[in-house]
Amino acid sequence: MSDSKNNNSPAEEPPRVTLPEAEPRGYFEGESMTRRKVFTAASLALGGVASMAVVLPVVGFAVAPLFERGRERWVAVGRLDDFKPDTYKQVVFTETPGIGEVGKTTAYVRQGSAEFDEDPGEYLAISTRCAHLGCPVRFVQAAKNFICPCHGGVYDFEGKRIGGPPVRPLDRFQTRIRNNHVEVGPRYSVTNQLKAVRARDPGEFTGGIWEYLYPPRPSTYPPPSN
Amino acid sequence: MKLSLPKRKSKQAEPAVADGDAEAAAAEPGPSRSEKRARKIAAGKHHSAEGGKDVAGWVDSRTNSTGIYTALLARHVPKGTNWFYTLGSATMFIFAMQAITGVFLAMYYTPSTTQAYASITHLTNDVFMGEFVRGMHKWGSSLMIILIFLHMGRTFFFGAYKYPRELNWVIGVVLLVLTTVMGLTGYLLPFDQRSLWATVVANNITASGPVVGPYLADFLRAGPEVGATTLSRFYALHMMLIPGLIAALIGAHLFLVVKLGTTAPPWVKATRPKGALGEETVPAGVPSPDDAEVPVGQAAASEPTPEETPVSEPAADPADAGGPDAGNAGEEPADPGAEPADDGEASA
Ligand code: HEM
Ligand code: FES
Repeated sequence: MSDSKNNNSPAEEPPRVTLPEAEPRGYFEGESMTRRKVFTAASLALGGVASMAVVLPVVGFAVAPLFERGRERWVAVGRLDDFKPDTYKQVVFTETPGIGEVGKTTAYVRQGSAEFDEDPGEYLAISTRCAHLGCPVRFVQAAKNFICPCHGGVYDFEGKRIGGPPVRPLDRFQTRIRNNHVEVGPRYSVTNQLKAVRARDPGEFTGGIWEYLYPPRPSTYPPPSN
Repeated sequence: MKLSLPKRKSKQAEPAVADGDAEAAAAEPGPSRSEKRARKIAAGKHHSAEGGKDVAGWVDSRTNSTGIYTALLARHVPKGTNWFYTLGSATMFIFAMQAITGVFLAMYYTPSTTQAYASITHLTNDVFMGEFVRGMHKWGSSLMIILIFLHMGRTFFFGAYKYPRELNWVIGVVLLVLTTVMGLTGYLLPFDQRSLWATVVANNITASGPVVGPYLADFLRAGPEVGATTLSRFYALHMMLIPGLIAALIGAHLFLVVKLGTTAPPWVKATRPKGALGEETVPAGVPSPDDAEVPVGQAAASEPTPEETPVSEPAADPADAGGPDAGNAGEEPADPGAEPADDGEASA
């Protein structure tokens, strides 16, 4: 401020007060480097502990559903003799409870057939959720194919991809027989060789290296052994 | 310590913006500032409102609000500033509009899978002006996306992302992502067929990213399928977390705009006064004082005044010339990104 306009004459400038130079520079006199360091570290550590005490529970709370598997649900979808080995029957059931109509999903169910070396005593439930982006596929009896209305995905009678953009066969639901009824259970996905794996979202490849690129999620059920 | 004292001096000589600023008179001859202040203290009037007209002064002396006003609205902007420079403020206005209309929509909306749709139809059809307020929010969301992209285009094509404004670009990218997340989370809230399936598809697209995708999708949905918890989760993100982050980042963004100043359009050539040294002698990153900047609403002075041309030895002490912010916060830094003109084209 020595040459500020506010000073009418430079001669009146007050003498500069020189403070003793502290060592190391920038520290108060007599203050030791270690003392300041200790206090800085202690404040940071305490602040860190306090924030973590808040942040960790909150993040865990939000992330928890990743590691939770919903209750296993089994729904009866029809009597045993409702289903034939050479064609599919459409069934609608609730996959996600608690959200009304939109929690329902559609599956195509048939009896196992010797033609596809499945146990004729087993029942097969194929999900209508397209493996491309999840549109509902439709079974066309004349072609014996599943056809997706969205981008032209086509699957054969077993649900294997034979055309269009889908990246893997159609998903399936586990089935079991109770009281002369077919029940469907948790969803699972299959590889191109129809090997059962944990359920994947549409758009994710299965099998081979893809099992590592699209790892199975803890929120899904282990696949049935085959 | 050497400080850029001449600049400080010229800053002090600037007229104060608000009346009631006791320091405004300090530059005039008469009793010195300290004398005036001593008189005020004697009269018990220092830092007190002298009648109604001085309320602004009272607030100012405690908050430096005129300084904030000067920094925000009376700052220097480059020659050639044009309507494209309003796109950022336009985006900010729409964000404010979304925040306000959103608060009022929340007064009627119920974030539950069984009641969400009914509460939205009630709000739209029965509540006075409900359709209008909802419409503002709905159209505003698209408008904000359009404006943020236009603003990003402006800063890109004007080269405004270059040194020293890279950080503002980075903050901008985060704002862009957060704005799209607002769009995603808001779309589910009406919980009609379209919302639900759009969210299902968006989650499937998220899940198709390798390695982290499946887990990220599970996090967003709060489980393997879109369900009731997904709605609550999106509601919390849409209402609280993301808007808070956006508001904070807009603050940081604007702070940097004020601190660094805005860029001149690329077609505005920096003029260089005759006799100034050529660009090659100016150390890189040191702003040149002849940058094409004028105070808002003033024509550029065709001839530089003597005090504006202390460039005779620009390379003498780089610390004196200062970095981009040079320690004189109110002053506009000259723009090192603008193309320096040849000596031949100097001085319009
Ligand atoms: C919520 C969204 C945003 C708001 C409210 C906002 C607001 C603003 C405002 C008011 C300015 C002052 C100058 C002007 O308006 O052109 C500005 C400058 C700037 N913005 Fe943004 N912005 C947003 C998003 C972005 C994005 C997405 C980018 C780029 C990725 C970006 C990059 C920049 C840069 C680089 C500047 C400096 C421009 C210059 O120096 O000339 N901003 N922003
Ligand atoms: S969603 Fe079925 S082909 Fe795209």
